[in-house]
Amino acid sequence: MPDLHHTRNFCIIAHVDHGKTTLSDRILELTRTVEMRDMKEQLLDSMDLERERGITIKSHPVSMVYRARDGQDYAFNLIDTPGHVDFSYEVSRSLAACEGAMLLIDAAQGIEAQTVANAHLALEQGLEIIPVINKIDLPSADVPAIQQQLEDVLAIPAEEAVLTSAKNGLGIEDLLEAAVARVPQPRWAEVEGLRMLIFDCIYDTYKGVICYVRVFSGTVKANDSILTMSDGMKAQVKEVGKFSPAMTKQDSLQAGDVGYIVTNRRDVAEIKLGDTITLTNTPAKEMLPGYKEVSPMVFSGIYPIDTSDYNKLKAGMGKLRLNDAAFVYQSENSVALGFGFRCGFLGLLHMEIIQERIRREYDLDVISTYPSVVYFVTKTDGETIEVHNPVNLPDPAEIDHIEEPMINASIHLPSTSIGDVLALVSEKRGLCEHTETIDEKRVMLVCRLPLNEILVDFNDRLKSITHGYGSMDYEMAGYEQAKLCRLDIMVNGESVDAFSSIVHKDKAEGRGRALCKRLKEILPRQMFKIAIQASIGSQVIARETISAYRKDVTAKCYGGDISRKRKLLEKQKEGKKRMKNIGSVSIPQDAFIKILKTSDGGSS
Amino acid sequence: MTLNASTSALGLYCHVPFCASTCDFCAFYQEKPRRGDLLRYFEAMEREFALLPPDRVVDTVFWGGGTPGLLAAKDLERLGRMQLAALVQPPHEWTVEMAPSTVKPDKLAVLKDLGVTRISMGVQSFDAALLESLGRLHNPKQIYRAWEAIEQAGFAATNLDLIFAIPGQSLAQWQADIREAARLGPSHLSTYCLTFEEDTALYVKLAQGKVRIDEAREVAFYEAGWQLLDELGFTQYEISNFARPGMECVHNLNTWRMHEWIGCGPSAASQYAGERYQRPSNLDEWMRGMWTDAAPKQEQVVLNDRILLADSLVFGLRMNEGVDFAALRQRYPAAGELSQLEGLIGRLLEEQILTQAEGRLRLSPKGQLLADAVGTEILEVV
Ligand SMILES: Nc1nc2c(ncn2[C@@H]2O[C@H](COP(=O)(O)OP(=O)(O)OP(=O)(O)O)[C@@H](O)[C@H]2O)c(=O)[nH]1
Ligand code: SF4
Ligand SMILES: [Mg+2]
Repeated sequence: MPDLHHTRNFCIIAHVDHGKTTLSDRILELTRTVEMRDMKEQLLDSMDLERERGITIKSHPVSMVYRARDGQDYAFNLIDTPGHVDFSYEVSRSLAACEGAMLLIDAAQGIEAQTVANAHLALEQGLEIIPVINKIDLPSADVPAIQQQLEDVLAIPAEEAVLTSAKNGLGIEDLLEAAVARVPQPRWAEVEGLRMLIFDCIYDTYKGVICYVRVFSGTVKANDSILTMSDGMKAQVKEVGKFSPAMTKQDSLQAGDVGYIVTNRRDVAEIKLGDTITLTNTPAKEMLPGYKEVSPMVFSGIYPIDTSDYNKLKAGMGKLRLNDAAFVYQSENSVALGFGFRCGFLGLLHMEIIQERIRREYDLDVISTYPSVVYFVTKTDGETIEVHNPVNLPDPAEIDHIEEPMINASIHLPSTSIGDVLALVSEKRGLCEHTETIDEKRVMLVCRLPLNEILVDFNDRLKSITHGYGSMDYEMAGYEQAKLCRLDIMVNGESVDAFSSIVHKDKAEGRGRALCKRLKEILPRQMFKIAIQASIGSQVIARETISAYRKDVTAKCYGGDISRKRKLLEKQKEGKKRMKNIGSVSIPQDAFIKILKTSDGGSS
Repeated sequence: MTLNASTSALGLYCHVPFCASTCDFCAFYQEKPRRGDLLRYFEAMEREFALLPPDRVVDTVFWGGGTPGLLAAKDLERLGRMQLAALVQPPHEWTVEMAPSTVKPDKLAVLKDLGVTRISMGVQSFDAALLESLGRLHNPKQIYRAWEAIEQAGFAATNLDLIFAIPGQSLAQWQADIREAARLGPSHLSTYCLTFEEDTALYVKLAQGKVRIDEAREVAFYEAGWQLLDELGFTQYEISNFARPGMECVHNLNTWRMHEWIGCGPSAASQYAGERYQRPSNLDEWMRGMWTDAAPKQEQVVLNDRILLADSLVFGLRMNEGVDFAALRQRYPAAGELSQLEGLIGRLLEEQILTQAEGRLRLSPKGQLLADAVGTEILEVV
């Protein structure tokens, strides 16, 4: 029988970098889940990409046992979550597997956009929040101010906050005692029949599809016959286990447990996150609440550099999608790039991470096109179409008007940067609707902005003008009509559809000029002269020329040099393989990425 | 002087891996000579010569390094005799590289006696300051003294190596170097644009930003050099090689025409019996290897028609004679699908990087400066 009185399920949520993963390290140590000699910093950030970038991308569950001050052992299931806004879908899925949430606040940074957003997500799901003020070791920590912010912004009583330093290990035991005392015991355990929530999935080459589950009621073990309730699909359980944090096989999983199951289903496309699993013979009556579908907000084409990799890319995308429900894709084709996929992401970082994961995990060289949002285009014949890809924008003569998606953004910032941030907002065609004071040092701006304008560099610029203290959260806020047009880029007279973008008419020229100039810097000189042009329709609005290089020759070349020389040329050739040939011009893969980071004329 | 491409000539290259010190631009394998090493080197060379095919005539020999001329007269003699003992007949052409500071009448007499036909001397420049900046071990005076000795010994063919686009060198200085070299009256001149190879002292300076590569300047030096050499009666037959009529280096021509050659000595490369390989670059490793049953081969590549056709183009186009594409297709019938290559050739002709006359493809002067880019494109499609 599950010992629900001694089980606590909670996740750690916060704004990016407030110390969630580091705090998890200390908890793993204190509960001796991981041997001291196996310990390393941010242990739960197990993906290479997470370790390199120092950010959490995926939620990571781990089970452990804590001997509390009352002398009893408690089973803890902790889920470390990402803090970046692009991964909030990860957070909300993890919350659904828990009864409590530790809400971390950096004692120096204070409440930021994702602190608020994640706290709301936890409250919506009825979770108990334990506020934690972390990094109290920092000289700039200001605990009383943060406590005040808790009351003012989140209406959480200041005395509820636990003070910790994840770095120095201060307050960790108090925090775990708070988890024992305040996190409710597992809910819905009394419901009849097995009910478990699939909150994540990965594809393993050996085991096939592995589902991360939270069992709410009943018991599941190997050889059980199960079914997923949304579609009635049956499967056989092959293995069950827990995260310690590595996957560790168990005899069974019971109500309150967080773990994984492996089934005989191998088709990646069939599993739906948020689905409820029950037993075939004694099915539960009702499904668990499940997840809201998320709709991607940013679209971009992903194409294999080597066209013969198309099928490999397709298979890779299927597996990634399994592990990242917020990522969607469908096939499309481009004149410049051939066959590839139109992909939808939650934001730009999400896009970057997916591209990088495709490269690494599936060993594929890909290029991606300029990101776009979804436009509604009403044509002169009255028909309204959705445009995800600039290439599909109808001829200007056929367009009556275009509507673009808007967002409501909450921007948290130090009051000293308010002027600069307002200037940035207006440069990005936004309007500041109102200003709220958080405390004497910080304010929050509520702004309405076109989504398109914050895609590429808004966040970077916000960070730089606020010296790292500004942050932003946003939600979709309907559509608005705007004067938009398509800006095309031509290389030696051939339009490179992958570089096309939809821009505001007033900004087209500046952007066109900036793009041409940037391309001139990025494209390597070649044996021939290269002309770069930006145009709207047939009107050229900017141009640049890259002169041909004149010398690429090794002077000395003797018998012994022939193999050496061949190797050298082969190396050059390998370098060129990563390029895409558009007409006679080779465009390096990173050009497609670098061009994304080109800001409008203003900053160049 | 043309050679029938279908009769395969055989060349022999001997690597003498010793230098007195390391020049700033040098990426060759070389070591400071020690007597014990030298003796073991000769023993190992003898074993390697014994591996030469007993029934094939070696047409040309090239001794390079390192600094072959660094060896004492009696050592040159020893190496030469060992080699001749292993050959079916003396070679038609036999080149020995010498550095000015190492040229001595007694050495030259030994070489002449052995049957060496060609002396190649690394002058690099006649300008004392530029020589200094290259870290060379000689001064202009040594060059003149060495040249006098070579002339007196009376070799059939002589070559001087020059380097250009040296940091600090003016165009006028470069032209003066060419004039001075021509005035001495060698039958052959090689001119090399200074290259920055990894693992050289010069490359370090480049990386530190102490010197920099200026493409326009290098192009100007190339073009001025070509023009002046032509005026002085040296005909270009390869990107960096110029000769009086009939005085080309046959050994090198044969290499570029994808004939066979066998390399002896550490780091020496061979193209022989359907494969390419290299001996270990380390003196000890090579010597140890020569005492085992199977002489060590590194970087081994099994050759096929496709590789050879590609390389015939890549290296053939570096020569002014260019390539006869139709003949190459016949020479390498199993090269496979070449339509992409034909497309590339068409495009290069259109861009006037290549020219075509009497069935031969050649690089235009503009194309010669892009030979590596053209080579890369060829390898991309073959
Ligand atoms: N001084 C101090 N630094 C801390 C503390 N906790 C975390 N850090 C540092 O803060 C940085 C971010 O820590 P992480 O644990 O990766 O933060 P996170 O919240 O998991 O970040 P994301 O998962 O990317 O949202 C790291 O450099 C940590 O070393 C603390 O208590 N004191
Ligand atoms: S003499 Fe020749 S091989 Fe020796 S270091 Fe100088 S350039 Fe290199
Ligand atoms: Mg983290």
